[in-house]
Amino acid sequence: MEFVTTIGIEIHVELNTKTKMFSGGPNVYGSLPNTNVNPIDMAFPGIMPVVNKKAVEYALKACKALNMSIDETLIFDRKNYFYPDLPKGYQITQQYHPIGSNGYVEINVDGVEKKIGIERLHMEEDTAKQLHYPDYTLINYNRCGVPLCEIVSKPDIHSGKEASLYVEALRSILLYLGISDCKMEEGSMRCDVNVSIAPKGSSKLGTKTEIKNLNSIANVMKAIDFEVERQKQLILTGGVVEQETRRFDEATKQTVLMRKKTGAVDYKYFTEPNIMPITLDHNWVNDIINNLPELPKQRKERYINKLGLSEYDASLLINNKELCEYFENVSSKSNNPKQSANWIIGNVSSILNKENISLSSLKFTSDDLSNLIIMVDKQEISTKQAKEIFDIMNNTGKKPSDIAKESNMVQISDDSSIKQWVKEVLESNPNAIEQYKAGKTNIMGFLVGQVIKKSLGKANPGLVSKIVKEELDK
Amino acid sequence: MSYLDLPISKIHELLVNDKITYQDLIKEALEKAHKYQPTLNLFETIIDNPSFNGLDKSNPLFGIPYVLKDNFSTKGILTTGSSNILKDYVPVYDATVVEKLRNSGAILVGKTALDELALGGTGTNGHNGPVHNPYNLDRQSGGSSGGSVVAVSSGIVPFAIGSDTGDSTRKPAAFNGVVGFKPTWGLISRYGLFPFATSLDHVGIFTRNVLDCAYVFENLAGYDSKDMSSANTIKTQYSKNLDNSLKGKKIGIIKEINDSMSNSLVKDNMSGVISLIKNQGCEVKEFNVDERLLRAILPVYLVISCSEATSNDACLDGIRYGIREEGETYIKSIINTRTKGFSELVKRRFVIGSYCLKAENQEKLFIRAQKVRRLIVDTFNKIFEECDCVIFPASGDVAPLIKGASDDEKLSSKYLIGENHLAIANFGGFPSITIPSGFINEMPIGINITGKCFDDQKVLDIASGIENTLGLKDLVKEVK
Amino acid sequence: MKISKQELNELSNNLLFDMSEKEYETLQEEFEVILEQMDLIGEIENIDDVKPMVFPYLIKGHELREDEVDNILSKEDVLKNAKDTMMDMIKVKKVVG
Repeated sequence: MEFVTTIGIEIHVELNTKTKMFSGGPNVYGSLPNTNVNPIDMAFPGIMPVVNKKAVEYALKACKALNMSIDETLIFDRKNYFYPDLPKGYQITQQYHPIGSNGYVEINVDGVEKKIGIERLHMEEDTAKQLHYPDYTLINYNRCGVPLCEIVSKPDIHSGKEASLYVEALRSILLYLGISDCKMEEGSMRCDVNVSIAPKGSSKLGTKTEIKNLNSIANVMKAIDFEVERQKQLILTGGVVEQETRRFDEATKQTVLMRKKTGAVDYKYFTEPNIMPITLDHNWVNDIINNLPELPKQRKERYINKLGLSEYDASLLINNKELCEYFENVSSKSNNPKQSANWIIGNVSSILNKENISLSSLKFTSDDLSNLIIMVDKQEISTKQAKEIFDIMNNTGKKPSDIAKESNMVQISDDSSIKQWVKEVLESNPNAIEQYKAGKTNIMGFLVGQVIKKSLGKANPGLVSKIVKEELDK
Repeated sequence: MSYLDLPISKIHELLVNDKITYQDLIKEALEKAHKYQPTLNLFETIIDNPSFNGLDKSNPLFGIPYVLKDNFSTKGILTTGSSNILKDYVPVYDATVVEKLRNSGAILVGKTALDELALGGTGTNGHNGPVHNPYNLDRQSGGSSGGSVVAVSSGIVPFAIGSDTGDSTRKPAAFNGVVGFKPTWGLISRYGLFPFATSLDHVGIFTRNVLDCAYVFENLAGYDSKDMSSANTIKTQYSKNLDNSLKGKKIGIIKEINDSMSNSLVKDNMSGVISLIKNQGCEVKEFNVDERLLRAILPVYLVISCSEATSNDACLDGIRYGIREEGETYIKSIINTRTKGFSELVKRRFVIGSYCLKAENQEKLFIRAQKVRRLIVDTFNKIFEECDCVIFPASGDVAPLIKGASDDEKLSSKYLIGENHLAIANFGGFPSITIPSGFINEMPIGINITGKCFDDQKVLDIASGIENTLGLKDLVKEVK
Repeated sequence: MKISKQELNELSNNLLFDMSEKEYETLQEEFEVILEQMDLIGEIENIDDVKPMVFPYLIKGHELREDEVDNILSKEDVLKNAKDTMMDMIKVKKVVG
């Protein structure tokens, strides 16, 4: 029997505003417990929420970047339930009037462009953090109230691969918007997936299971792939898929039951009576949505079409925002995007990987790298010399021009010096000239090498080749 | 010599002329507070070493002691909501109202008892037992702002702050012969007021005359960035602008409401008031309102207020503050806490609210109640197009006996209109004030003046005019 | 319409408190009154065409809050009113589920 998989993905993204969604409490990751808390975050009796303008701005940006229709009237609702990480006993969210609806994101699945629909995007607030110990739980309210955007996809995803591409595309866009640091491992981006399978041709969807707490894009794919198989086997052996909440166990690479879903919870949603409908200023909204930063897709097109990078190189850079910004700096300063890409994707990346460090730990700056490239372009040094300087630069942090001076690594490009060396080499290798004239043209490479050797590596190779050829052709 | 039963303007004059000091006033207030507490049971906390931060001697509230209903957050001072669940809760922040009064130079000398979490209308459902009416100790103070109203009517302080969600300032005022004012919704910040029903809650003011009320009001009104429903209005000197001329004022009366008063002497009193103001040049016009709408006031009020309350009080779980009972699991601990911490009445209200919010019931109950709310508000807004304000008796009778109060709290169809009509001003956010209008068997009664949103000055003006005409103000009932 | 004690029990369970038999009985009587009165409301003409009123009035042009830190509590103030704390966090019995 053939099955069709249907997947829906719910993503929660923490916005990197300075303060929380409804209070002036600081929105900072990693502080000491309960030091980023405002009375509103603690839900002391009598507090009232006040909507964060920046959070709204960021949500608007996300809506536009995800091609969504925007509702310029903000209306909030209460989602009522009891849980220790929810101090008010309700969460302020946007159940009935999400700020964004009906959008999409484009992914490329094995060369085929596909649009994945996005049902809605709405603003809400994060809960406190619980630390579970064997006999007790400790609660830290630092995270309580952090602004969240919840993004719900349409059930347009049909494989683990597509799911991971969707999450990656979303993540990349949100990262480029600068509204979140999207670190799944830190929880600033959380992914829950709903998976169901149905026999091919069936008009009904199968029972879906929910997989929560996926902490990496790779795990999204692995979890879904496993779950699909699990459901298939279950059905093929006469079993029934039940509504469950599962989690992904990284060690065993399997989805594991967390709890059975006993039926829909009634959250008794009603309009938040502390916040009147807010009609956003139309000009303000337009100002925001018409001034988005360059998004991954646009940037990739620019890299390929305007900067002449290969599709491969462009993709590599786009997919690593930090590296990409580094490239932006280096290439704009050096004015040589292709070389900048080569150096960054090649030499710089290999250092980062080998030494397991980040860009900010490098001893040299992006300006230093730009200058190195400029020096090569101006033919002040050879590429070989540049590589040597790069290594020294990486070890010492000294400026490339200083290193070149100190090590006397100056490329010699004046005709007379080179002509002199060429003459000397030709004189020492009379047979070579005969061999060349006899048709063995590759002897030129040997001769060029000799000249460079004589120059102690300083001669401009291009010029040497040219002059050697001229002399040979005489 | 007692000064605190004088009007604020008189006390202020004495202070400014150094005839008395604010320390004298504090002493007097505290002496009276301690003296009356065993009899009236009006306090949760008496603040024996109050702080004074007055800077501007020209402010009429400078040096004036006052009390605050115990559902306003006071930093460092016990705030219980008169509920066991918060009986040891000491807030770490001040309500905006508290800050403003501190800045005006007023002196907080006590936190007063209320019906638990403001869910009640008798003054008998606080966790420390009933508050007693100084006019007759066997009778209710009224509620939910029982302690605050009594602090003023017994002469302990010249003004007190309460809250008003259905009538909790304006009805007790009538039972105590004092002024009870609820301004337009959003004019006084509710940041720090424990919410009962957010869309109906208001800060309320008790004084013994309308001018005093204006003094307090102008110190409290104003935009607060911490309260998103806060109205951004121009600062108004309500007291300076107070115009008590009634000539030419158009006053509306509602036939069905007046007719529904259970005590005919109340109806007589109302007729008397109407005659007197007509003599002052008022044009009195009678309006009819669909009785079905008026009878709907109570159920609509209950459905909306219980629903919002159940959600607003969901934070009371013993985890971060308040009492915490033991339990084998964390849930059991919360259950034991909420079971022990809430009174029966409050639990019943929460269950009603929860039922109305259930997905399958919301349309027929919660949403429909909100629809009727609109019909009622629209009806009165239409009436306000033809008059400056409406007046009606504040209550159909004098303060009921304390005995039998729990039956009063139990929902019934009795006196549906006559005891619930003040909630109209909560539905619409209308400015509404009760002033004393007479006595029946030595128990005070009052009339209520209500106008359209943002007509607070007009309502105060007309109240002042009627007060002047009736000659009933600055009434104090000393307690033996 | 009579609400069953079972339904009332479910409601109070969801609200995380217990009520006594007598309390349920009082509540049943109160529900009868409310539900009856709400039914009468159903008879008002075109009631369901009316737009629900959530707020007494709507204001326009109110400000959204600027994204600036304001009013941070000391951790002592955060924990001051809690009955059980540990390592600067609030402690409860193990939360499962």
